[in-house]
Amino acid sequence: MSEHRRQILEMLAAGKITADEAERLLAALEPDSGTNLHGSAGNGKDVDGPAPKSRAKYLRVLVEADESMTGIKGPTTVNVRVPMQLLRAGVRLASLIPKQAHDQLDQALSLHGVPVTLSQIKPENLEELIDHLEDLTVDVDGQDGNTRVKVFCE
Amino acid sequence: MTPNIAIVRVQNPNWRGIRLWVPLFLLWIPLILLVVFVACLVGRVDALRAIAAFWALSCSLPGTDVRVSTDRNHVMVRIL
Repeated sequence: MSEHRRQILEMLAAGKITADEAERLLAALEPDSGTNLHGSAGNGKDVDGPAPKSRAKYLRVLVEADESMTGIKGPTTVNVRVPMQLLRAGVRLASLIPKQAHDQLDQALSLHGVPVTLSQIKPENLEELIDHLEDLTVDVDGQDGNTRVKVFCE
Repeated sequence: MTPNIAIVRVQNPNWRGIRLWVPLFLLWIPLILLVVFVACLVGRVDALRAIAAFWALSCSLPGTDVRVSTDRNHVMVRIL
């Protein structure tokens, strides 16, 4: 029995705290109990707590453009859904690029305004990136309302 | 799971639209072998790493959905 638990029980025995208070304090000592007082923590039945965040499975890109942007008669819409898993696989594919080609690629990317060092993109970095990507929503509206771009995860 | 079928649908009012069910399960094995062979030959990449990367890539393709619509034309590609 831990020291804290013993102190709580002693306070209860001495009448300094009520049984309810003792229960609340003991529950707070449980490592995975949180603030739940009725033993439902950790069993997935606690309806009062925040729901666990579901992981996004797809990256969606929606583009709507009108005639003035595309030169094609009438509105044009592009709707792309890409599995997140494909991003991970893409990084693994990028790891196949020979080291001697990395410098040339980095130079070419920086020339086009993308200052990325390919050798620094690793699968462990990608997991973090994808985790943050799930919260990402990009909305771009054209100046005249002729183009709309939306990027989000679902 | 590797992709089994790609659905390609093209609709145009001027001609009869097409709806193709492409059996990818017949294509991806020779395709991967070909790509890996070329990658190893040209880029001097480790064959095992190349196979693992392309396997991961092909397994992550199911669920991909691309739709492009203009005023008269509609193109849809889905990988199942």
